[in-house]
Amino acid sequence: MAIAATTINILGIVFLSHAVYSAYEHSLLPSSSLPTPPSSILPHIIDPKINLPLDITLETLFSVFLLCVGVVLSSPELKPIQWNVWAGRLERSKEARVVKEVGVGGGNPYAVLEERPGFLDIRGRRKEFAGWVREGER
Amino acid sequence: MANPLLEAPTNSSPATAIDLSQKASTFINSQSSWLSAIPYPLSLFINTESQEKWQTYENLFLACLRTGDDNTAYACLESLTNRFGKGNDRILGLQGLYKESTAKNDSELAEVLKEYEEILKNDPTIFSIRKRRAAVLRSMGRTSDAVTALTNLLDQSPTDAEAWSELADLYLMLGSYEQAIFCLEEVVLVMPNSWNMQARTGEVLYLSSEKLEGADQLRLLSESMRRYCRSLELCDDYLRGYYGLKLTTDRLLELLSTGKKSQQSSSDPVKGDLAPPSIDAVKKLNELATSKLTEIVRRSKSGEKGWDGYSEAEIIAARELLDRGTQKIER
Repeated sequence: MAIAATTINILGIVFLSHAVYSAYEHSLLPSSSLPTPPSSILPHIIDPKINLPLDITLETLFSVFLLCVGVVLSSPELKPIQWNVWAGRLERSKEARVVKEVGVGGGNPYAVLEERPGFLDIRGRRKEFAGWVREGER
Repeated sequence: MANPLLEAPTNSSPATAIDLSQKASTFINSQSSWLSAIPYPLSLFINTESQEKWQTYENLFLACLRTGDDNTAYACLESLTNRFGKGNDRILGLQGLYKESTAKNDSELAEVLKEYEEILKNDPTIFSIRKRRAAVLRSMGRTSDAVTALTNLLDQSPTDAEAWSELADLYLMLGSYEQAIFCLEEVVLVMPNSWNMQARTGEVLYLSSEKLEGADQLRLLSESMRRYCRSLELCDDYLRGYYGLKLTTDRLLELLSTGKKSQQSSSDPVKGDLAPPSIDAVKKLNELATSKLTEIVRRSKSGEKGWDGYSEAEIIAARELLDRGTQKIER
């Protein structure tokens, strides 16, 4: 998917640059300095008063469309914004629980209510650890 | 990028604690580079501070205390004290932890306790020390003193969910279910989205319903079932929640099918009790819990991607519960 998105993006950029370059080259042609017939659809004020060939216009539109699709496809996966989905992911997978930096990542933020670091029974923990070591030696 | 140094070592297994404490000396050495020796005005240009650094120091301190590596723990504590000052609440708590764990006998521990009381006499608003004091009282076996200390603390700071939760645990230890449930309800009031505390409340309600009979039991069981439902509403695929839901609905089905009609009208709407759930609803919930538990056990056993987070013991327990259910049907 990532490769397809990148290809679409590159194609879009190439087409867009080509269209822009063609438009510029076309504007240098002596024929383009001729007065243009007034547009029949557009009002007088927003009439661009140039006569670009249709293929350049189409190419521009096509390249912009490609770029739009490519950018959407290459965006990172959306994060869950529903509480239960987010919480479910924390319970389900180890990967979602990884602590990336202080305050980012980590498992259930409410687990502290059951671990209670403020009331840590350090002596009990030490005894438990010593017991674990003794068991390992045996 | 995962950084094991940032994971709090308070509730991890002994193996991870020792892993962490073995990383301590390399970490401390890596921190003392020539950069920190630069004199005052120049040192302003160099940033050696980060949240991660101090979090790591604290985690290493706790891990070393747990594994009995007191010297390294002291080194960590000293760096923290130099950075944050002696009067910092959190540092005071950590210093207390160090003294507690290096106390050799009960009289030394009593000395630590006296020190805490001395600190609190000067400034009774240091909550880390008040919590430590309650914890020491508990570990010394003076449970009723610990309860008093905690109720005093909660009188002055009624939104402290951690303290409510600790008090609930103490009451549960003493067997006073009603008080424990009250405390857990307070926790849920302060943090209504905590799915594990909802499940915990359900567990305590279930436990206390076992002691009762008839209408009261039915009331507590349905309350417990509702708590589990809420925890599942807050968290998809919550193994503990589904386990509890299956347990309570199994029990409720037994009660509702054998119970008399008089039990149905026992709920008192004036007191805010809800009517017991209908058999159909309970049956549906039971089926849902069974199918979900089966799915979780299956997917976790097969090691599907993104389903590796459940603890081994919990999966085994869920499996046993499911097996018990199928045996009953076969009979």
